[in-house]
Parts: sequence; C-alpha cells; structure tokens
Amino acid sequence: MYRKTIWTILSMLLIVAFALTACTPTVAPTDEPIVATEPPMAAEDITIRWRTRPDNQAEIDVYQSASSTIDAKLDGITLVYEPGGSESSSYQDVLKTEIAAGTAPDVFWIPGTDVADFATRGLILNIYDMGKATAGFNVNDFYPGPMYHMTYNPANATSGAESGALWGLPRDVSTFVLYLNLDLIAEAGADDPRELAAAGNWTWESFLEVSQAVTALGSDIYGYGANAWWGPYGVWLNSAGGGFFNETRTACALDTPESLAGLEFQRSLYVEHKVAVPYGEDSEPPFMAGRVAMFQNGRWATPGVRANANFEWDVVELPQGPKGQGNWLFWGAYVINAKTEHPEEAWQLVQMLTDAEIQGTISALGTNIPSRVSQQALDAFLTFTPPANNQAFLNGIADANYPTAEGPVWAGSWPSFDAVMGPAITAVLTGATTVNDFAATICAEANKTFTQP
Amino acid sequence: MNSAQLSNPVDNRTQILLRLLAIWQGLVAAGAAAGILLALVNPGMAVWTKVLFALILALAAVGSAFSVWLILRRDHRGRVLSLVVNYLAFLVCLLYGMQVLGIFLGIDALAGTFGRGLPFLLGLLVGYLVGAFGDRYDNYPQKQRFYRNAGKIIMVVFGAAALVAMGIFQGLYTLVTRFDNPLPFVLLLGAVLFGVMIWAMWRGPTAEVMGAKSTHAEMLNGLLFLSPNLLGFLFFFAGPLLLSLYTSFTNWDAFGTREWIGLDNYAKIFTLDVKPLDYPEQPWPEVLDATRFDELTRVNIFGKAYVLGAADKLFWLALRNTFVFSILAVPLSVIPALFLANLLNSKLPGMKFFRAVYFLPSIAAVVGVALIWQWLYNAAVGYINYAITSVVNFLNMFPGLTLVDPQVRWLSDTHTALLAVVIMAAWQWIGFNTVLFLAGLQNIPGELYEAATVDGAGKWAKFWNVTLPLLAPTTFFVITTAVINALQLFEQVYVLIPTEPPGGPNNATLSLVLYLYQKGFQRFEQGYASAVAWVLFIVIFAVTLIQYSRQRAGTKAYGG
Repeated sequence: MYRKTIWTILSMLLIVAFALTACTPTVAPTDEPIVATEPPMAAEDITIRWRTRPDNQAEIDVYQSASSTIDAKLDGITLVYEPGGSESSSYQDVLKTEIAAGTAPDVFWIPGTDVADFATRGLILNIYDMGKATAGFNVNDFYPGPMYHMTYNPANATSGAESGALWGLPRDVSTFVLYLNLDLIAEAGADDPRELAAAGNWTWESFLEVSQAVTALGSDIYGYGANAWWGPYGVWLNSAGGGFFNETRTACALDTPESLAGLEFQRSLYVEHKVAVPYGEDSEPPFMAGRVAMFQNGRWATPGVRANANFEWDVVELPQGPKGQGNWLFWGAYVINAKTEHPEEAWQLVQMLTDAEIQGTISALGTNIPSRVSQQALDAFLTFTPPANNQAFLNGIADANYPTAEGPVWAGSWPSFDAVMGPAITAVLTGATTVNDFAATICAEANKTFTQP
Repeated sequence: MNSAQLSNPVDNRTQILLRLLAIWQGLVAAGAAAGILLALVNPGMAVWTKVLFALILALAAVGSAFSVWLILRRDHRGRVLSLVVNYLAFLVCLLYGMQVLGIFLGIDALAGTFGRGLPFLLGLLVGYLVGAFGDRYDNYPQKQRFYRNAGKIIMVVFGAAALVAMGIFQGLYTLVTRFDNPLPFVLLLGAVLFGVMIWAMWRGPTAEVMGAKSTHAEMLNGLLFLSPNLLGFLFFFAGPLLLSLYTSFTNWDAFGTREWIGLDNYAKIFTLDVKPLDYPEQPWPEVLDATRFDELTRVNIFGKAYVLGAADKLFWLALRNTFVFSILAVPLSVIPALFLANLLNSKLPGMKFFRAVYFLPSIAAVVGVALIWQWLYNAAVGYINYAITSVVNFLNMFPGLTLVDPQVRWLSDTHTALLAVVIMAAWQWIGFNTVLFLAGLQNIPGELYEAATVDGAGKWAKFWNVTLPLLAPTTFFVITTAVINALQLFEQVYVLIPTEPPGGPNNATLSLVLYLYQKGFQRFEQGYASAVAWVLFIVIFAVTLIQYSRQRAGTKAYGG
C-alpha cells in the first residue's frame, strides 16, 4: 500500500513536472539551447512572433540570423522566428487554422495573391495610419507593382500613398528566367540564347528555333519545360499583350485576341512542334537529368539547380513577344495579424525586416530580389553566382519589359478564378481542346468568380 | 444503514461530509443556472455558442439539483450523479486552466527542449538496471537493499537533472508570470474544490452510507476508464461532426460570423439544368444561363444533342472521379490480396519475410510513396516509361515487328491520370488487405480441407467451396474498409499529381475530399465545404448499407 502511494505520488509529480516544462515560452525548434537564444523574459518585455515560408534550410538560417540581428537592436522586444511550412503541411493551411484559433504569429508572410482575401476578411491590420506617422517611411521606396496591391483600399477602390490603406510591406520580388542546359544547346548546335538576348534577337521565333534544334537530338530530349501552374502559362499571354484580367481586374480577359495569341503560340510548343515536356508533367526532373535545354522557373529554383545540375548551366531572360517578356513580378508580403496585442512593435519589425540592410543580407545569399528599390540590395544580389547571368532576373523587372505584378482579385476570388482557368488552359495545352473552343466559353465560366458585374 | 453505524465517529464525519456535499451540489446547480442567464444575455457570444453553453449548463444544473435530493435520501444514484458532475467540472476547470496558462501551446516548447533531457533519461535506465541487479541477491537482503536504494537514488538524481535540462525552472518561472489575472486562480480553486468533493463522495464510508454496492463501484470504475475515450469522442469527433452539420447550413468562411442560409448550399450542389442544342458543337453559354450554370456534359438522345449544366460542375466531376476510382481501386486492391494471402498462407520457408515485405507499403507514409511514384510515372525520365521503351525496342529487334513506343503521359493525360492514382493506391493497400485475409484464412479449420480432399476436391474446388464461403466475414470487412478508403481519396492525388490547382489534368483526378478541402481551406467556403462533406457522408453510408445488406443476404444463403 505504502509503495503504491509512493509510486502514485511520484507519477503525479512527474506529470506535473512535464506540465511545468511545457510552460516554457514557445519557440521554433532549434539545435541551439533555448536559454542561449531566448533568455527568460523580463516582466515588461514584449514577445513578437513572426513567420516566413522559407524554401530550404539555408533560408531558415538566413531568416533566423536576421531575426537575431533585429532582436539585438530592439529594446524591450524579444523576437521569435518561426519558419513555416514543411513537406507534410501547407504553409497557408496552417496559418489560416492558427488565425481562426487565435494563435497565429504577430507578423507573418503571405503570397501576393492572398492579400485581398486576408484584408477583406479583417485578418490583417490596415497599417496606413502607422505608416503615415512614421518619419522617413515612403511607400514609393518599394516596387510599384506590389505596392499597388498593398495600398489598395477596397472601400474607395483606389491605390497609392493616399489611398487610406496599407496592408503590409513586400518581402521580396522574383521573376521568371529560363534555366539553360548549355551542354545540350551546344550539342544541338543551336545559338546561345544569352548571345541572342544580348544582341536583341531573343524572340519567340528564335526561342522556337533553339527548342526545335535541341528536340531534334532525340525522342526523350526537349527544348523547353515548365511546370503546370498559372505562372508559366501566364507569361505567354502577358507577352502577347493579353492577360488574365481586364484593366480594373474586375472581369476575365482570357478571351481577348492578345491572350488567345499567346495561348496559341504556347499550345504550338506542346501540340504542334512538340518541343516541350508534355504539359502537366513535372519538368524539373528531366531538366536535372540533362534532358531539357530551357527550363522556365523563378529565383527560388536556383539553390536546387546549383546543388543538382551536373552540366554547364546559366540563365537567360524570357524571349520577347509582341509586348515584351511578359514577365511576372512575383512577390509576397509581411503583414500584421489583426489580433496582435502589439501593433506598434509589429510595425517596427515589418519595417526592419524590409530595410535595405536586411534585404541586402538576404539577397547576398541569392534567395530573392529585394522588394525595396535599392541599388545596395541589387548589387548584393548580383554578387551571388552561379548563375553568371543574374542580370537576367533583373531584366524581367525592367519597365520596358512590362512586368505584371502577381496580385489578388479584390473584386472576386483568386483561388476560384484559378480553379476555372487552370483546367481549361490544361485542356488547351494538352491538345484536348482548341483555342477557339476555349475562347467560346472560358469567360462565361470564369466571370462567375467575380463579385461585381 | 443501521444505528450502530451512525453512532460511529467516522460515520458522523461522513454525515457532515454528506451535508456539505448536498450544499455543494446545490451551489453548483445555482451557479450553473446563473451561468445560463449570463450566457443568454452576453451579446458577444454567437447564437450557437449560447445554445451550446446553455444546454451544457442546464444539464449540470439539473443533474446537481437532482443529486441534492438523492443525497438527502441517501440514494446511491445521487452519489453517481454527484461524481459525474464533479468529475466533468473538475476536468473543465483543469483543462481550461491549462489552456489559460498556455500549457497546451507549451507542448511545442517541450518538444523542442525534450532532446536536451534525453541523455539524463538514459541515467534513469541505468538506475533501473542497478536496482534490478539487486534481484540477483535474494539470499543477501542487505546487498539487495543496497542496490535497490542505489538504483532509486540514481533514478531520482537523473530524473531531476532531466527535468532541469528540459527547462522546469524556466517553465515554473513562466507559469508564475502567467498568474497575472484572477482567472487562473479561480480555475485552480475550482479544480481543487471539485477534486475534494470527488474524494468526499468517492471514499469508502460515504459510498457505504449512500448504499453503493460493488456493482456500482464496478460501473463507476468502468466509466472512469472509459471517460478519456468517451470525452475525446464527444469533443473531438461528435462535436465537430454536429458543428459541421450546422455549418453546412451557413455561409461561414472560417473567420467571420455564420449566417444561416438554410438549404442553399445543398441546393447549389444539386441544381442541374438540361437544354437542347441547335447543333452538337453549340457553345453552352448560348443555351444555359451562364450566370448560374456551367457545362457538365453533353448527351445525344435519338439524334438530338442536349447539354447538361450544373450550378457546381466541379462537385459532379469530383463525384464521378471518386466513383470511378473506387470501382477500379477496390477490386485491384482486394482480389490480388486474396490470392496473395493464399500464397503466403503456405508453410514454405521464408513466408514470414514475404508477409512483411508485402505489408511494408501500407505502413509507408502516403506523401513519400506518392513522391516516389511521381518519379516513376514521369513521362520524360520515369522508370515505367523507360521499361516500356526498353521492351518495345527489344521486341522491335525481331524481324517483322514495328511496335510504336506509346510514350504514356501517365500524370498529364486526362485518360491515364486517374488510372495512375488507382495503380499507386491499389499497390499501397494490397499489403493491408493481404494481412486481413491471412488472418481470416488461418481461422479456417484444417479439417474442412481434409474432408474436402477425401471428397476428391481439387485445389480450385477447395478454394471456391471452402475458402471463399468461410472467408465471407473477412471479405465483407476488407471490401467495406476498402470502399470507405477509396471514397475518401485525397493524399494520393494531392501529392502525386503535379498540377496547380491539384486535381488535374483538367480536373481528371479531382476527388470529393480534395474538392471540399479546396473549398474549405483555399476558397474560404467552410459552409459549402461542410455541405459537400455531408453529401459524401451520405454516399459512404448508403454504399456501406448496401454492402451490409448484401452480406446479410449472403450469410443467410450459406445457412447463417
């Protein structure tokens, strides 16, 4: 009886002890001892949790380091960095669940396409007043494409520094390039796309010629490859002068002659000339295996190519169509949780995460292009080689190439629009339907995803 | 209860405790009633939470008030009621207190720091081994005591060191700082008071006075052991289930308020329209109301073309894909499993190894399996196409043969994408089904086969007339679980198919669960997603019911 009582007490003590250890402040799992990075908080200390979606461990380390740097500069604020997303969990799903449960971080990153959904539902703070009150802060310090959406005010349908809305600040931008397998291009005897681009001859026609020359090497060799989502196919529409939406982004524009011309050319790559990895197949494995000459992807693919490509490689900008490259300006933003208890401190953190120094540090590691129009940060970006031709990424941003900033749909639902557009374009690019049939019905279907007539 | 017992001083204490318990239950009833009023007048609470709170508190109030009356009558049912109410209230105070103190969220922190305590936990093992070493000295009590005590000391020291390494002092410090408002104190006090009342009613003399019998004790013990599972079921399964039913009648987006819209979600799912076409290729927006409908399919009846429109085309496509997947994947994962089980049931050497090998895919993570299959299926560099090409090239070496390499686009062709998912899923499920069949086969008495042999039955006759009928209950279970699994297809498509949005190409692999996931989590339509989930539930229920009735009919046919 005595031993039983002792064991019962010991067991209870153990449970209580574990419960007590579970009271330690929540931090991201790290190999470093918790005590070293997160000392016990002083009573007046404020903890700010923030989160990004890094693509790899190197990026996690960079952001952790940036967090420590900023932490050291902030008095009375302890920063806790949480890398989000993993192989088995979607970054956005976890974030939305945490927002619904009231446990989301104070500051978090979201893709540009999600800004409208988060803003109109009141999930993120409108920090316009805080921005106005901050000395030296100017929305024009960032690329105008992303800032159009970050300052869009759905209440008065205006955008800009005086719109009355500021939903956050962009973390970075990125553009598409073509990753080149130079060995394969040389073996085919085709012109070097980098030289064609330098000479101003890198057009749809010369792109097709290079693709055809490489494809002629064998039945399992392809000139071009891209993955199946809105980014890759969208550039061909943009490049032809078309696009997904009308000027005001309130209706579908997939059936305009320009959009259809871009789609027609892209379809010819897959269906008629057969120079591309079949649409819907993952193009990255064949590119890494040395079977694809030109792989269309963003800056985020660079670490993987650096690590895995066993051939000579570089990048080149997208070919010029009737209306330039038609490149995307991909971006995501740091936004502030509407339920944060410390909005002022969170705003301070957002500014520091996007200042030229931190962006330069992150850019020097080659992960992305700074969102702030800063020569210092751009110079840092160019130093990260390979690829030697980093300028190709920056050329995509140039105004002359008409980059289109990815963005939300304020007058509708972007995911619903994508759910209509994606399968319909897949049908065209796999040869299941014609461009004419696509044009006859696509906007009747897609316009239902807009809330405005 | 007799007078001798009442005169006993211990029983006097029991009498006092019982009076206290009666007063306590009265206070609990009054508190619960007050809580109902507060919940109803609270403008910050949603209607459904008001109703839920009021219902729970009403149950507590009625239960407590009734238990007062029963306790005063010394009726054992009063004891049961009091214990149940106090136990549930104790759990509420304790768990809510832990939530308020951030202990559940802190589990993440514990996971992060647990590794630092692991080396010390090895010390615990050493301590246990030292103590256990003392068992060798049964004839030397002094030595035995020495080892046992030494073991205990080692365990205590290393246990304490492990807790320190894991951050018990930081935890304690943080816990203290979180007691910065009255709520944690109130909840802690509540937990202690309810705990004391449980003890007062649970103790032997009280039970005796309340007329409790051993059967009552057994029932309470049973309920106590059952309670974690039962409460978990109620809160984490039944509760969300009912909530999703309610949500399906609202337009909830997961963040804002739920607006009741009645059957609108269900109406949208099932709204269809059929219109005749002037010519077979006529675009559907010319005949259907393009603001409501999309084209689902076209049919030709007696030379006249019609277009079938749906208010939610994707639901019907997902339903079709889910049914096609189930019709293909269930036989492909069950029939080979049946034959494989018969093969593995033999007593040949190495069979245990093969059983393990075939079972492996079913315990592998779906994400990992799908990623491997994605590589295998890749049209450009995948091993499957490589093997097909090699075979075609080999055969073409024979004179007169000119076979064409099909270059199958497994994941990007609308005709093969779902088949690719079927093959992968069946491959993964076969192992589990095989094990179930194997268990069923080993329950068939060997005498039946001996009798069949005597009757001159061959292998096939034995299989058909002995094995299959006697495996019927196992087969029913295997098919039922396989059908339910198939109708809930999600991960395989989500990971295997490299299109964005998932479910491609051209919605060829969009399944119902994937669709409701997209609606709920990606398009902020939790209400609509809940409606889709309930339609899927009804489909699964109906299919299972049909299988069950078929199984009963089959059992009767065999004289069951």
